[in-house]
Amino acid sequence: MLEPISISLQALNLPSLLPVGILIVGAIFIIVLDLVTKSGSKSFYTMLSILFILLDLGVVIGYYGEARGMFDLVLVDGIAKISQIIVLVTSAFFLLLAMSQRRFQEFSMAEFYALFLFMIAGFQFMTISDNLILIFVGLETASLSLYTMIAMHNRKKAFEAAIKYFTMGALAAGFYTMGSLLFYALTGSIEIHEIANRVILNDNLSVVALIAATIFMIGALGFKISIVPFHTWTPDIYEGSSAALAGYMSIVPKIAGFVVAMRLFEALLNLNVLWIENMFYILVIATMTVGNITALVQEDVKRMLAYSSIAHAGFVLSAILIGTSEANSGLFLYWILFMFTNLGAFTVLWMTRHKKNLWDERYQHPFVKFKGLAKINPFMATMMAFFMFSLAGVPPLSVFWGKLYLISAAVNAGFIYLAIFMALNSAIAVYYYMKLVIFMFLMEPASEEKAIFTTNATPVLKVVLAVAVAFTIFASLFIDKILAFIIYHVTMSGF
Amino acid sequence: MIGLAHYLVLSGILFSIGLFGVMKRKNLLMLFFSTEILLNAVNIGFVAVGRFYGDMSGQIFAFFIIAVAASEVAVGLGLIVLWYKRTGSIDLDSLQMMKG
Repeated sequence: MLEPISISLQALNLPSLLPVGILIVGAIFIIVLDLVTKSGSKSFYTMLSILFILLDLGVVIGYYGEARGMFDLVLVDGIAKISQIIVLVTSAFFLLLAMSQRRFQEFSMAEFYALFLFMIAGFQFMTISDNLILIFVGLETASLSLYTMIAMHNRKKAFEAAIKYFTMGALAAGFYTMGSLLFYALTGSIEIHEIANRVILNDNLSVVALIAATIFMIGALGFKISIVPFHTWTPDIYEGSSAALAGYMSIVPKIAGFVVAMRLFEALLNLNVLWIENMFYILVIATMTVGNITALVQEDVKRMLAYSSIAHAGFVLSAILIGTSEANSGLFLYWILFMFTNLGAFTVLWMTRHKKNLWDERYQHPFVKFKGLAKINPFMATMMAFFMFSLAGVPPLSVFWGKLYLISAAVNAGFIYLAIFMALNSAIAVYYYMKLVIFMFLMEPASEEKAIFTTNATPVLKVVLAVAVAFTIFASLFIDKILAFIIYHVTMSGF
Repeated sequence: MIGLAHYLVLSGILFSIGLFGVMKRKNLLMLFFSTEILLNAVNIGFVAVGRFYGDMSGQIFAFFIIAVAASEVAVGLGLIVLWYKRTGSIDLDSLQMMKG
């Protein structure tokens, strides 16, 4: 017979769930508002969603309570805080891209904004927990919303992208649950820190089962952060969805995935099972190299950026392999810098979005489109060039500092060959970023018509672009402050 | 006597069947069935292991998987209906606009 259980409200630590609660209440509020009024304008919903996101951001930054809450299901530590800030800031910026000149069907529906908020809540759940159930629920909430939002773009290509992403995501969910099952069978726990403890304590553990569990988990999280054997969906999905959503997908799902990977795999790497470390070494180098090499032969800028984001993910994944707190701080620093640069690059693509595919039958943004852009629209060409230089890692621009910091972390931890591979890959990457710059600056334009490059531009988009370019150029001025903030929070949570 | 090992083997076999289906099936509906088999295979394992340890969290995980699988089917079928309306086909080979 079960005893009646009484729990004090204090022990639940409800404020730890407040940020996610705000978003969920906000999403439901938007749906209800749409039912009641029927006439809400699209920019009203955009602003309302951004308001909820900012409110959430404020609560996240201002949270100084206990790290644990809800029967230890919730864990609001330093890395959870940083990654939530990254997720929320990115979401707010990308949501602004909905206020474009041309009217797209998805942005006029209230459901889109509700799904967007649900998705952010899902990603937040992934970061604020080390319980495998809660991570799973967060992952699926976010993914299911994302599939639907891709399909709402209402092009044939978007449906294809959504179905492909869905199939891959369902398989990843299968892998994730199988990995959890194996961990549970081995240790009898579904909390990550508890799993790590029991693996250390238990000597006669089956190593084969442990490796199998790790492989399943790499498969599941690898789909989300596009590690190489599981990366094949990435370019297709980016090509099929709108540039705004593609840019979003290159940043936010990955940072959530990185946090889960950090919690899980660094605990496993600490166990010194040689096989796991070697496997990670191969994965990191393969992800960087394959991403970069395939990016060389792309004809479409969006697909090129997709492969480049795979390569960047591989670069950042090396932080998890290195595992020192310097490397872990480098991961977040890199991703913040990469976020603003990628935001800018995808905003340029979004602004040049034209009703028809003028330049190529299949692609919306082929390289040919940007031929001679410097003569037609010098301002836009210069900004795009800044983003490309930054992604390539040219010194004073933002992503360079991330690369520098991560490579020095690798050298400091004794991973010399890894550092060499990272440097080599940065060199390969220069080629395809410069290809776009050459197309823009050194080639003759196909037509002098200026208007076709700004069909989708609005003042709001220009502001977003200005913020991105300002951050990209002047990152070196405030990088030490960001870094100090990150290092404080990362070391505080013991990574 | 049926013990934990039997359940785990059953779970493994079902998982393999599901994985094989995901890789081989050309029909989108069949592919979704296969992912359901994947998830349900894991459910069997979770309940068996939870029972073995005398711990509730395995069964709770199984419930969550059931709920997630159901919502996944809802979204997936919605996507198939959209695709069928557009192209009149639910064959995997019809998803070939983007490749390379």
